[in-house]
Amino acid sequence: MNFLFRLVSEKVGESVSGTRRSSLTHRLTHSLTYLAAALALLVTATAHARINVVTLPDRDSVQLTIYNSADLTLVKETRNLTLRKGMNRLEFSWANTLIDPTSVEFRALTHADEVEVADVSFPPRVTNTLEWRINSEFAGDVVVEIRYFTSGLSWSADYVAEAVKDEKLIDFSGAVRANNNSGEDYENAQVRLVVGVIRLVEDIANLARAGKPGTPTTVAAMSAAAPAAAPRRQLNEAFVAMDAAEKSMAARPKEIIREGVSEYFMYTVEGRDTILNGWSKRMPSFRAEKVPITSYYKFEKERFGDQVIRYYQFTNSVANKLGNEPLPDGAMKAFRFVSDDLLYAFVGSTSVKYIPVNEFVELDLGNDQEVSVKPTMMDWQKTDISFDTKGNVIGWTEKQTWQFEVQNSKDIPVVLDIRRNFSGDWSLTTAAKYDKVDATKVKFVVPLKPREKQTLGYEVMMKHGTNKTK
Amino acid sequence: MKRIWCLTLVAMIGGSAAHARVKLVALPERARVVVSLTHPDQTLVEEERLITLQKGVNKVDFSWRGVSIDSSSIQVRLLTHPNDVKVLNTSYPPNENALVWEIASPAAQEERVRISYLLSGITREVTYRAVAEPNEQSMTLRNYLRLHNNSGEDLTEAEVALGYGSNFKKTIAHEEVLEMLSERVEALPVKKVLTWDSATLPWDPEYQKSTVGIPLNYVLTNDKPHKLGTHTLLPGKVRIFIKTKEQPAKDGDQPGEGVAFTGEDWAQLTPVDREMKLFIGQSRDVKVTQRRTKDERTNIRRNTSNQDVLWDKDEVYKIEIENFKKEQVNLTLVEHVPGYWKMVENSHAPQFKKKDAFTFEYNLTLPAESTGEKKTTVTFELNRVNVQGNEPASY
Repeated sequence: MNFLFRLVSEKVGESVSGTRRSSLTHRLTHSLTYLAAALALLVTATAHARINVVTLPDRDSVQLTIYNSADLTLVKETRNLTLRKGMNRLEFSWANTLIDPTSVEFRALTHADEVEVADVSFPPRVTNTLEWRINSEFAGDVVVEIRYFTSGLSWSADYVAEAVKDEKLIDFSGAVRANNNSGEDYENAQVRLVVGVIRLVEDIANLARAGKPGTPTTVAAMSAAAPAAAPRRQLNEAFVAMDAAEKSMAARPKEIIREGVSEYFMYTVEGRDTILNGWSKRMPSFRAEKVPITSYYKFEKERFGDQVIRYYQFTNSVANKLGNEPLPDGAMKAFRFVSDDLLYAFVGSTSVKYIPVNEFVELDLGNDQEVSVKPTMMDWQKTDISFDTKGNVIGWTEKQTWQFEVQNSKDIPVVLDIRRNFSGDWSLTTAAKYDKVDATKVKFVVPLKPREKQTLGYEVMMKHGTNKTK
Repeated sequence: MKRIWCLTLVAMIGGSAAHARVKLVALPERARVVVSLTHPDQTLVEEERLITLQKGVNKVDFSWRGVSIDSSSIQVRLLTHPNDVKVLNTSYPPNENALVWEIASPAAQEERVRISYLLSGITREVTYRAVAEPNEQSMTLRNYLRLHNNSGEDLTEAEVALGYGSNFKKTIAHEEVLEMLSERVEALPVKKVLTWDSATLPWDPEYQKSTVGIPLNYVLTNDKPHKLGTHTLLPGKVRIFIKTKEQPAKDGDQPGEGVAFTGEDWAQLTPVDREMKLFIGQSRDVKVTQRRTKDERTNIRRNTSNQDVLWDKDEVYKIEIENFKKEQVNLTLVEHVPGYWKMVENSHAPQFKKKDAFTFEYNLTLPAESTGEKKTTVTFELNRVNVQGNEPASY
C-alpha cells in the first residue's frame, strides 16, 4: 500500500507538473508561488493504478481575513473540481509562501452530503505538500472551499488630523493599509481586516516554516519556505492586470463596511482588490469633518521632566461626529492649517491606542515650547519637632511653599493641566482651584488666553515620623 | 548624489522584458514649494504641481531617489476640484521609494495638487550677532537663520515659513548652507550686570593668586518696551561686539568706527516677556569680599547620650564691594542658605530678592569709583532654625 501510494504520488506529480506547464504558464509568470491541486482516481485493489489527472483548477475566488494583533491571515478560496465517484486524491502543495500546514482545511460547498474527506496525508520527505483522500458519492463538478492560515500579510490603520487655526476643530480621516509579504500574489481578493486581540499559542510563521505538522523548524526548511521578493517583471504584468481590472471601477473610493464580531471588529473592503506580493495598498476608511477638540497641555515633572506636552482631546462619539466604530490602533500625524489657502504646519505625530466607541481620547503630540511652566519652591520650613524618651528626633513637619509661573506664548487659547505628586501625610492649602486625582496626586487645570501669563501657588504640609496621623 | 523627486502621470504600463515598472510619463512642473520650519525637529515640504487627468481612474506615481522622505507622511490634496476629484487608494511597490495614487476624475481636466511630506536633511540654526554701543546700554541685534540643506534636493524659489514673521522665498541648493537675516533690531536696550555667586567664587580675594573675575552678563528682555516681544526667541549662539573708535589714518582725520569682540554665549529659549541672560566674559574691576562674621549655635537640644540632635544658628555675613571703574556698575550678589532660615537683619532690604527657598539675591548699583572709604558694604543676619545637619539645599 505504501509502495502503491508513492507510485501514484510520483505519477501524479509528473502529470501535474506537465499539465501545469501547459495550462498555467500565464499564472506562473506573475506568481512565485503555486498552489497545486491534482485529482487522481485511485483504483485500490489491483497493482496497476489507473490515474486520472484533471486540469488544475483556477482559484475562483479568494477572501483574505487579515488580523492586526498577530501575524495571521485566514485565506479562504473556492475552486471547481471534477470528482469521480469513489476515492479521489487531491494534492495541495505550496512553495515560497508561509502557509501553516496544520491549518489547511477542505470542504465541498456543493454536494456536501456526498463528498467526504477520508483522511489527510503529509507525505514523507516532502515539505509543503499534503494529500486529501476524498470519498465522493457524486461524479461531476463540485465547488470546494480551501481554507488555511498564512503569515506575512498584515494591515495597519493610520490617521491624519487637520486642525483649524485655533485648534478647536479637526478634520479627522482614517485609512487602512494592507501589506502583502506572504510570498503569494492575491488578485481580485475580497479583503477583510480584523481589529482585536486574538490568542495564538504557536506562531503561524513558525508552523509554516516547519513545512508539515510536528516538524521542528530547521534552517534549511526556513530558507526553503522563506518568501522571496518577486521579480519586477512579474509585478509589471500584474500591474497591468490590476490596471485593467480596476478601470471599470466606480470613480469613488471604495466603501469600507464595518461590523462587530464578538470582541472583534471587522472592516470589509467593498469589491475586490489585488495586493501583489511585496506591495502595500492604502485605502481611505473614514473622514469626519469639524470634530470638536480641546488643545490640552500637561505638565507633570515626574512624567515629562520640565517639558510641557501637547494633547488633542476628543471623544469618539456621535455627538462629536465620530462614534460609528471603534478606532483601531495606528499611527497618527497632526497638521494645523496656517493660511487661508490651507497650507500646513506640522504639529506632531503619535501612535493612537485602540479607541472604543464613546471613549475619551488624548493624542500625545509631544513637547510644545510655546507653553511653559516654571515651578519654584519659594520657602521650606521644618517645624513641630518631636523627641523620643532618649531625646532623639522622631517626628517633624515640613512645609513647602511653591509658585508656578505659567505662560502661553501662543496666539490661541489653551488649557494647561499641572499635576503634582505628594507622599505620606500631606495636606494642601491654596487659593487656586484643584482636583484630587488620587491619594497622592492633585491637578490644577488652568485655561490660558492667548499670550497670557499667570502665577499660581500652594503650600503643602508634610508630616514625618511620629507626627504622621495617616 | 543628485536628488530626484518625480511625480509622474502613468499613461501606459507595459513592456514584458523590462525589469522595472515601465512608465510612459508626463513630468508635471512644480508650481510652488513651501518649506515649513515651524516644528522644532521636523521639516514639512509642500509642493504644488499641475497634472492633467483623464476622465476615469488615473494612476499618479510619486517616486523619489537620493532624498529622505518619511513615506508614511506623504499626502496629496486636490486643490482645483477638491469635491469632484477623488483619491481612491495608494499603493506602495516593494523595494522602491515610490507610491501610486489612483485618482478618479469625472472629466479630462487639469488639477493642481498639493503634495505634503516630512523631509529629512534640512536643519536650521539660529544665530545672533549684536553690536553694543560703547556705553553698553543699547545694541543692534541681528537674528540670522542658517539653513543647511543636506536633503538631496535643490529647493528652488521655495517659500520658507518659520512660524513667525512673513514667509520669504529662497533658493537653496543641495549641500548649500544659506544664512539669511531674519530680524534686525536697532537701539535695543540692554542691561549689563555682573553676577557674584557665593557658591562659585572665592570669598576672600586676598587669598587668591590672581585677580578674581566676576562673570559679566548682558540681559535682554523679550518684550515690547525693549523693542522685542513679537515671538519666542529661539536658542542659538550669540556673539557680542562693541563699537570702538579706530585710529585716524593720519593726524587731523576723524577717527573711524570699528568693533571689538566682547564675548559669546548660547542663548536659551526665551518666551515673550522673559529675560535672556548672556554670560559673555568677566569683569576684574569690581572686587567682592564676603566674610561670615558670626557663626553661633543656639538652642541646642541633646539626647541622653549627650549628642547634639537639634540646634538653631545665628549667622552674620558682611560683604564689601569695591568698584574701580569710572562708571556705575550693576552687580547681583547671589547667596545660598540650606534648610529653614529667617532673615533677622538686612542692610539692603530694597535690593533684597528671594529667588527660591534656598537662594536670595541683592541687586545693587555700585557708584563709579566706589573704593576705599566709599566702598559698598552689605550685611545680613540669618537665623537658621531646627538644624540637624541634613538640610536640603536644592529641590
